Amino acid sequence: MNLSDLLKPEAVIPCMKAQGKKQVLQELAAIAAGLTGLPEKNILDTIQQREKLGSTGVGHGVAIPHGKLPGIEHMTGVFARLVRPVEFESLDDQPVDLVFLLLAPESAGADHLKALARVARLLRDPEFAKDLRATNEAAGLALLLAPVNPQSSDALA
Amino acid sequence: MLDLLYPAILICAGLIMIAIFTSLLAFRFGAPILLVFLAVGLLAGEDGLGLHFDDATTAYVVGNLALAVILFDSGFQMRLASLRQAAGPALALATVGVLVTAGLIALATHVVLPFSWPESLLLGAILSSTDAAALFFLMRVGGTPIRERVRSTLEIESGANDPMAIFLTITLVELIRFGSAHGGISIPGLVLSFVREMGLGVVFGLIGGFLITKMVNRFNFEHGLYPVLVLAASLVIFAAAGEVEGSGFLAVYVAGLYAGNRPLKAKATLQRFQEGMTWLAQIIMFLMLGLLANPARFAMIALPSVLIALVLIFIARPLAVWVCLWPFRFQSSERTFISWVGLRGAVSILLAILPLAEGIDHSQTYFNVAFIVVLTSLLVHGWTITPLATRLGLVIPPKTGLVERVELELPGSAHHELVVYRIVGNSPVALGERVPRWARPSLVIRKGQSMRYQYAGRLQEGDYVYLFAAPRYTRLLDRLFGSPARLAADDDDFFGAFVIDPTKPVAGLAQAYGAQVPTADPELTISRFMADRLGGRAEVGDRVGCGPVDLVVRDTDDEGRVISAGLALEPQAVVGPTMQTVRALLRVAVRIRQFFGGKAKGSRAAQ
Repeated sequence: MNLSDLLKPEAVIPCMKAQGKKQVLQELAAIAAGLTGLPEKNILDTIQQREKLGSTGVGHGVAIPHGKLPGIEHMTGVFARLVRPVEFESLDDQPVDLVFLLLAPESAGADHLKALARVARLLRDPEFAKDLRATNEAAGLALLLAPVNPQSSDALA
Repeated sequence: MLDLLYPAILICAGLIMIAIFTSLLAFRFGAPILLVFLAVGLLAGEDGLGLHFDDATTAYVVGNLALAVILFDSGFQMRLASLRQAAGPALALATVGVLVTAGLIALATHVVLPFSWPESLLLGAILSSTDAAALFFLMRVGGTPIRERVRSTLEIESGANDPMAIFLTITLVELIRFGSAHGGISIPGLVLSFVREMGLGVVFGLIGGFLITKMVNRFNFEHGLYPVLVLAASLVIFAAAGEVEGSGFLAVYVAGLYAGNRPLKAKATLQRFQEGMTWLAQIIMFLMLGLLANPARFAMIALPSVLIALVLIFIARPLAVWVCLWPFRFQSSERTFISWVGLRGAVSILLAILPLAEGIDHSQTYFNVAFIVVLTSLLVHGWTITPLATRLGLVIPPKTGLVERVELELPGSAHHELVVYRIVGNSPVALGERVPRWARPSLVIRKGQSMRYQYAGRLQEGDYVYLFAAPRYTRLLDRLFGSPARLAADDDDFFGAFVIDPTKPVAGLAQAYGAQVPTADPELTISRFMADRLGGRAEVGDRVGCGPVDLVVRDTDDEGRVISAGLALEPQAVVGPTMQTVRALLRVAVRIRQFFGGKAKGSRAAQ
């Protein structure tokens, strides 16, 4: 599975400004709404519903809000790098500055979980996170997250 | 002949023993161990102690057998996950990389030796493959944990480029032997026979691997017969594929890959047996190649050979790697490392025997040059790989230190195995971490006394603990019993990627993840649900499987209630790699075909 399938270049926000967790989620939902054509409110509800089960802040400044969204056609990702880290109720109480939103269709099942695991594994690599933090333009971030060449990580996945 | 029985056995077995003992020295001084085996062979040989051995045909046959054994084992050890991660770049290296390397070496050979173009190309082909065994020993036995993607790329490449190099060498030897008498060799014909040979290799490998799995799991043999059965079966696959002009080496590799990634009865026994067989095959191969060589004749060819080796190391390999890896995302440090690790070994020398056995012109020169190049490579690479990896930052910090563990399969059960750990100081369990219940700690042996785990208290250094656990969880157990890494709360493997608030209704999990949990009662909390499934009291590390995800107990209160839970996305199931294996291998085939596509028509090469 390659992230380039679900992360469009225009879904990468290099310098997002937000005051807190709620605003981050709102901004992400707005972007996802633009990408999918679905109402922003539905998206926000879905991810906040998931957030109620426990924060998706996975530690080390990374958060991966996610959820299953009725009506969405295929898995959609949005990545944002925050200008100023925000409190995210993370496990390690560290403020978060790298956020990856992953929305999946109701029917996605195993693919959703696989994609989620992949994003989690990718972002938990401290070297990789360092690279992301050091890059402040969308193209560079998109290249890091989802290398253009379809052969690279997708070879036999 | 019978007079020679005892002396012959004495010499052969004695040499093997000597080689094994010198390996102690090799580890001590960090010398490449295969170089030591080769040196023992050389010292005992014609120009050393005077053992006379010059039967090229026997050497070629034995070498082929040994290589088949080694390749089967290296496929057997290869995890599908690593294959998926690195198959693309590795296959590029094993195909295009081999061609580029062979071409560049041919160029150098044509300049420094009075060889015609086909002859130069033959030497290029002989030297074009990296050595699986040499690499394996440097990467694993050398004890340097290299980053996984780099390591997998190199390992798969080294296994996969042998069939390619062998194909090229055999084709060129035929070409030189018969010249254009048979109408020459057409490029489309070559491509066709390549596709055919590799295709047959893959097909035989898949069928063979499938049959091995079936045979082992289906029938009940005497326990000691399983490894022998598998060994014999792998050689049958090798020979059968070769008999119909498929690549036997590719077939055994694929068969090993298939069988090694399936749940298999007596797997631990098989692994141990094959480990031994691989060592034996290595030792025999290197000793024999050392014996076959006449180092006294090396002097006159030394200079050009070393020049060719230098071209290989500093120009051909880096260029080939650069060409092959540009479509893939590698950091420059990783690329540098892969360029440097173009280790040559037994396969090259083995291929250099072919001209000897076939008796074509300059055959002794091929052999001597190949020998010197391999020696140079073992010397140069062998001593520099670990320092280079460290400098490039490719060495992963050891997550777990020493783990001592013995696995035994249990009769009648495919889901659990008996695992025995010896407690090492500083490991998390020795520092008071509890062994999770799913591991079913059953028995502790302390200073010769056996006691039940419940009464043993804190585990002490030197204790043996007997556990029953599903094979897929042994990785988690290694974490607990390893030293000295601590089990941290953010250990995703152990506790799951996400934290879950256990006071929330369990129905939310069904909605968010399609987890198989009761949804009828909106009041049922995750904590209650987990406690129920765990029989009342929860303990840290307990896992509750619910369909596609696992719930993990992160923390409990005094009453054994779950106060923090984790959600693991990949319950590390080992089920169902069949279709994936087939799909993965089919894609390999498709890629090879795509690579050569379009050109594949015309007649088969003259043979």
